[in-house]
Amino acid sequence: MQGSIGFPILTWITFLPILGMLIVWLIPSGKDEETKKRSNMLIRWTSVGITFIQLILAVIIFLNYNNGMTGVNQQSGFQFIEKFTWIKASLPLIGNIHIEYFMGIDGISAPMVLLTAIICFVAVFPSFGIEKAVKGYFAMYLLLDTGMMGVFNSLDFFLFYVFWELMLLPMYFLIGIWGGPRKEYAAIKFFIYTLVGSVFMLLVMIGLYLSVGSFNMLDMMNPANFASDSIFGGFNTSIRYVAFIALFIGFAIKVPSVPFHTWLPDAHVEAPTPISVILAGVLLKMGTYGMLRIAFPIFPDAVGYFQGLIAWIGMISIVYGAFCALGQFKIGKRDLKKLIAYSSVSHMGYVMLGMASMRPEGIVGAIFQMFNHGIITAMLFMIVGVLYDRAHTRGLDEFGGMANKMPVYTGIMTIAFFAAIGLPGMSGFISEAMVFLGAFNTYPMLTMVSGLGIILGAAYMLWALQKVFFGQIPERWQGPWDPTGKKYKHDDINGRELTALIPLAVIVIFLGIMPNPIIDMMSASVNHFVEFMRPFVKIGGHLSGM
Amino acid sequence: MLSDFGVILLFFIIGFIFVGVGLVAAAFIRPSHPNPIKNSTYECGEIPIGGPWIRFNIRFYVIALVFLLFDVEVVFLLPWALVFKQLGWFAFIEMIVFVVILVMGLAYVWGKGDIDWEKPKPYIPSIDDLVVGKKK
Amino acid sequence: MLGLDQFIAELNKSISMFLPETALVIAFLVALLLDLMFKKSKNLTGYTALIGFLVTGYFLFKQMNMQSTAFSNMFVIDQFGIFMKWVILLSSIGVVLISFFTNELYEKAKGVGEYFTLIIGMAFGMFLLVGSSNLIIIYLAIETMSLSSYVLAGYTKEVKRASEASLKYVIFGAVSSGIMIYGISILFGLTGSLNLFEINRFLAANPVNNFALFLSVIMILSGFGYKISAVPFHFWTPDVYEGAPVPITAYLSVASKAAGFAILLRFFKVTFLDSVPGNDSVWTLLGSIDWHFVIAILAVLSMTLGNLVALWQTNVKRILAYSSIAHAGYMLMAVSTMDDAGVASVLIYFFMYMVMNLGAFYVVALIANNIGSEEIDDYNGLGYRAPILGICMTLFLISLTGLPPTAGFIGKLYVFSAVVKAGYIWLAVVGVINSVISLFYYVKIFRNMYLNDVDSNKSKLTYSPASIVLLFVFAIPTLYLGIFFNDIVKWASYSANIFMGK
Repeated sequence: MQGSIGFPILTWITFLPILGMLIVWLIPSGKDEETKKRSNMLIRWTSVGITFIQLILAVIIFLNYNNGMTGVNQQSGFQFIEKFTWIKASLPLIGNIHIEYFMGIDGISAPMVLLTAIICFVAVFPSFGIEKAVKGYFAMYLLLDTGMMGVFNSLDFFLFYVFWELMLLPMYFLIGIWGGPRKEYAAIKFFIYTLVGSVFMLLVMIGLYLSVGSFNMLDMMNPANFASDSIFGGFNTSIRYVAFIALFIGFAIKVPSVPFHTWLPDAHVEAPTPISVILAGVLLKMGTYGMLRIAFPIFPDAVGYFQGLIAWIGMISIVYGAFCALGQFKIGKRDLKKLIAYSSVSHMGYVMLGMASMRPEGIVGAIFQMFNHGIITAMLFMIVGVLYDRAHTRGLDEFGGMANKMPVYTGIMTIAFFAAIGLPGMSGFISEAMVFLGAFNTYPMLTMVSGLGIILGAAYMLWALQKVFFGQIPERWQGPWDPTGKKYKHDDINGRELTALIPLAVIVIFLGIMPNPIIDMMSASVNHFVEFMRPFVKIGGHLSGM
Repeated sequence: MLSDFGVILLFFIIGFIFVGVGLVAAAFIRPSHPNPIKNSTYECGEIPIGGPWIRFNIRFYVIALVFLLFDVEVVFLLPWALVFKQLGWFAFIEMIVFVVILVMGLAYVWGKGDIDWEKPKPYIPSIDDLVVGKKK
Repeated sequence: MLGLDQFIAELNKSISMFLPETALVIAFLVALLLDLMFKKSKNLTGYTALIGFLVTGYFLFKQMNMQSTAFSNMFVIDQFGIFMKWVILLSSIGVVLISFFTNELYEKAKGVGEYFTLIIGMAFGMFLLVGSSNLIIIYLAIETMSLSSYVLAGYTKEVKRASEASLKYVIFGAVSSGIMIYGISILFGLTGSLNLFEINRFLAANPVNNFALFLSVIMILSGFGYKISAVPFHFWTPDVYEGAPVPITAYLSVASKAAGFAILLRFFKVTFLDSVPGNDSVWTLLGSIDWHFVIAILAVLSMTLGNLVALWQTNVKRILAYSSIAHAGYMLMAVSTMDDAGVASVLIYFFMYMVMNLGAFYVVALIANNIGSEEIDDYNGLGYRAPILGICMTLFLISLTGLPPTAGFIGKLYVFSAVVKAGYIWLAVVGVINSVISLFYYVKIFRNMYLNDVDSNKSKLTYSPASIVLLFVFAIPTLYLGIFFNDIVKWASYSANIFMGK
């Protein structure tokens, strides 16, 4: 079969971190200071090794990926398929049960797998700064990695749900134990919000299973598989609309779209840097990915009904998120991390808008925006982390003139900020442009209003840049960060931090000039997706293939 | 026609009437000269001391329970004895099992010392207790 | 009436079917004797109990496919009962093992001889209850198990709250069984029989006064509701759970509840099923009373009250007590569907609930051995002072919340799918909202274990290797059954068939 390399690569890429978790577990923690230090270093480098192998596997997938295959709702279009029966029984009383271990990727999930591998590898480096309960931290980190990878790889709803819930607990602990001052509040808020979303998803999943008789997502996408007298049988029934709303809310909480976004700023502000990176870089993408993979193709009729609403939610997220970010310049609540968190709400709004357009260019733009936003926000959070590690504050107005003190750092940060604004030549520009291109055809008015988001985005990003890097250095930061010279030898960014940031910067610039490698990956699948959704949804303008 | 329950109801009604008629008739016929002695609880010559609601020693209950068990055993033994000849060995073994279980219960009560009738040991104060400031 | 020879034949047949229960009775007597003879030995009756349970298990295994009645229709052997008996038996074994590692029992009571003996007695009562199909036997069985459990709840006589627990348990138990026997007498008066099969036949043939029927069934429900601690019959639960020794709390929350649910399901199906042919998996009920709704209301009350009150508790045993009320609510939700899929999901749920709940209580016992407290504030930093206990407790708690990949998730999955299948979507929505609420207080426990007091300088907790092995006996199935649940589901679905008489 094409797009397969005769090796269960998806299983490996998913479960390798669990293996790493066990290894980390088995590394004995030392008795005295010296051995403790050594064992901590061993744990850290094991995690680097594991995530690096994962990255290599992701690159192998990328190189062997067949751009011509479609996927979405046809099993034959998926690549690297692994399909085994997991639970199968024919039971007279409770109905047949058929759960498969079904993994495979297509153009929608492949970029996400790549993104996850990159971010998980990169975020290990800022994790070196964690000193408290190192073993537990990396064990949880690797478990989270498995959960995220699994979500993007599974094609069985049950398997998907297991992975979806699997990453809740590590995330709770990662924020709750290693977070900032209000960590408990932030952690439980994240947990409860996500769980509320996912329990309704569970009910819909059960309903779908009772209607279709299997947990296979691809079976659920085929209307012929629904028993006519079952809950979700037929089209355009009110129960299908309700189910779609439930699924949509479940995913929108993760995105997060505007009415459900309040957990995000808290979680970001309290989470340690690497976890913010993962949260913004990968976790948020699971929401929009879930919509594309599950909610939309299974309930296409409901998408047609609610399409306008989704676009509105996208627009509101863009504008409202941008205004909230701007609000961070109000005296008394100036937090750089919160600003970036709200900018994430705004940027994920583009993804929603692009998806609502239901046009190939819009959806390709949306997926590409997911990828780019992952890379760019990861950079932004890491950059804030670098500053926070040294100054132990994130207040916007407490800094100034850092360009003189940390020139290299300022260079990297400028790349990241400009990419976030969407400057041409950076990857963010291309995806945003494609989203607007698609959305303008379907919802011209909404798209024009959303354009406001770009202007506001430029405003808050540049303003933040100016506040932190230009002007006078405040009195308190004039000396070196660390007078003893033990922790920070130079004032500028150090090698470990650069190792994490430079590859991301390279990706951002490379994809800004030559986006084809990623766009080609998804175009076949997205075209197929649009074809599939076509009969149900509204598409403006003339449709041409990508 | 009366159902089975109807017969019982009838029985109750007749019972109440019988007693009621007797009491009412007696109230009319008997002489009535009450005095405090006559109204006391027992007209036996003794003057009651204290309230009748006192706590009985718990040992009485244990003995009563054990007694009750063996009382009930007899209730089972009677019908068993009636059909013993027809049933033969089966009935014999069954009753042995039953009795053995009961005997084990008795052994348990015995072994745990619950049927020992321990006399309460009243505390007789000695002269030392009366000496002020001396420790016991 | 049966002739004497027929009677003997029936009796002989019945005894051969009564072997598991007989084994329990013999184990009870042997343990009693051994306790009398060897007063010095510590755990002799405990080992006797284990052997007795194993022998019972052997006979139970031999009955696996039997379906019959015994003692002139007073006692039923069917797959449904056997499944529940397995749950009871396994949890009895678990509780005996947990007891071996509970210091509280050995320190605060005068010897544990009778303790294990009473556990056998209670198991016998539950076995009897699961199989009974006659209202009098139901009543007697409930009393048998209750009497043992009253004593067991207050077994640690030196602990004041244990005595209080025992007294409360007796008083509430007496009231509810009094109400129940009143209900039984009304039902007997209405239908002229105590046998459930005959009551069913009578109801199918004759119309009865709806109000009287409703009243009697509600009164009988109060007896069952007391055993499964469903709201509004739950008032004893928190105090008794808090006061009783930990293993007994675990026992009450699993086995006693299993027996209660078994008889609840059997009572409703056998009494009210309209047994026209072809009416198998979805029950049509006799009469015009909407029993679905009655049970659904109980379910909603139990879940909501259990979860909301648990939020404010500060004692881990009390939290688990309220959580057990909530779990009764989840299971009642499946009962309210009144079909075989619902029965099967209750069975699945029970098996999962047994593993995870025993495990959670066991961790509580091990921690209490060390720190002598069950207050949630004393749990601070325990995740670092006792890593294995912390991880296992977290596992049990997520399982109780119902998150994958744990056993509890599979239980919830099946309960909700039975409810959705029967079309009670509003009930399923209430159920899932409740499981979100429940997360909040389960999290409180492992929050204190991990998030507070992180770099604790306090000493590590000590526990023997054997106690850790036992911990894994609960932890591994909790994880395993969450991933590979094929066999349990098959077995439960096969066992969901409640015997309806000839």
